[in-house]
Amino acid sequence: MIAIRGLQKSFGAVQVLHGIDLDIADGEVVALIGRSGCGKTTLLRCINFLEEYEAGEICLDGEPLWYRPGSDGARRRVPEAEARRMRQQMGIVFQQYNLFPHMTVLDNVVLGPRFSQAVSAPEAEALGRRLLARVGLEGKMAAYPAQLSGGQQQRVAIARALAMRPKVLLFDEITSALDPELVGEVEDVIRSLLSDRIMMVLVTHAVGFAREVAHRIAYIADGAIAELGPPSEVLDRPKDPGLKEFLRRVRA
Amino acid sequence: MPAGSLALLTQGAVVSLLLAAGAIIGGTLLAILLAAMAFSRFAAVRIVYRVYVYIVRGTPLLVLALILFYAMPALDLRTGPYIAGTLVLIIYTGALFAEVFRGGVLAIPRPQWESARSLGLPPLAMFRKIVVPLVTRYTLPSYVNVCVMTFAVFTILGLAAAFYFVMCFGIDRLGRMLERHLALRGFAGVRA
Repeated sequence: MIAIRGLQKSFGAVQVLHGIDLDIADGEVVALIGRSGCGKTTLLRCINFLEEYEAGEICLDGEPLWYRPGSDGARRRVPEAEARRMRQQMGIVFQQYNLFPHMTVLDNVVLGPRFSQAVSAPEAEALGRRLLARVGLEGKMAAYPAQLSGGQQQRVAIARALAMRPKVLLFDEITSALDPELVGEVEDVIRSLLSDRIMMVLVTHAVGFAREVAHRIAYIADGAIAELGPPSEVLDRPKDPGLKEFLRRVRA
Repeated sequence: MPAGSLALLTQGAVVSLLLAAGAIIGGTLLAILLAAMAFSRFAAVRIVYRVYVYIVRGTPLLVLALILFYAMPALDLRTGPYIAGTLVLIIYTGALFAEVFRGGVLAIPRPQWESARSLGLPPLAMFRKIVVPLVTRYTLPSYVNVCVMTFAVFTILGLAAAFYFVMCFGIDRLGRMLERHLALRGFAGVRA
């Protein structure tokens, strides 16, 4: 499980996260929704330490991540090697896919296991083939990213994240850059992952999809969780006036 | 043209090709090291890089050669003119290539770094699998540019201009071939 306590993050003088507390249980899917600029993507990036944060704690299965108290009591970043080991427990999928353009689809997926986790080449390749088949791209293994549609690239990116055999998957608005007719194929892949009971955190604007796959939805406003609960409460009986307004707009 | 001068031209061309090859290979290796310094965590190392590039690039090659020529006996290095000449060119092209490579590293989009980091790639794999392939593709035209210039420098030493042109053309073609070979598949319009 993931436990986030008192997470605070600023960009320069602008504080974007004002003390976030959030627990994610094993096998739980949590969707983060909120207006553009509310801090939901920053929160996701802090979990994977793509952003540093000034205060607060993130624990994965009881292990504090990214920072340790030093001998003088002040918090220090963990050494790079340790940060790498911690990152391998998570997979992140980005809005713009971010595949490596100079590698085939299969090499993109194999890279992490092969070089971060020292899995043998044949074993990593077998894993890559299995995962690409799982996302429906067994026919595209030798293709290069730029030869694929956005939906296909995003499915490769999901396979790449899965190849690390992560405890948590982080999704950063993974369908927002896609043409509407390609959204479905990516959402189908996420649906198919639900049976794996892997933890997932989805930053999304697709409220309907969040209702379908998420166990809980967190509405974030001005860098704080303004409302948190099952979709039936957060989406159908919103209490926060900002959330009501937000829902009215995204549904319109 | 008397037969003797053709032989001399050929000999000169072969020598300058060898020297240029030595300078380019040596300069490239030096430049990789220098470019790595340019991205060091330590400010002192980055400053050493800047000073090196500033001085070497800002000094006329002939002056650089003279300095080295007179400094070498003092350092008790007794070498022939060929070795000394190649050494000067390594120092010089090292600075030029280093800036080319630095530009290439800066051109790697931030999301590519983030993807690689999120996979927990160790530094060596990051370098071999992400940095080298991308920087090679980004910098090949400017790299070949410096190679041709390096070769051109030998005309200062009075070698045959006609051969020089033919060989520069050769280097240029080789560069284009490499560009085509390394072109990212599926991207339209990468060919100049």
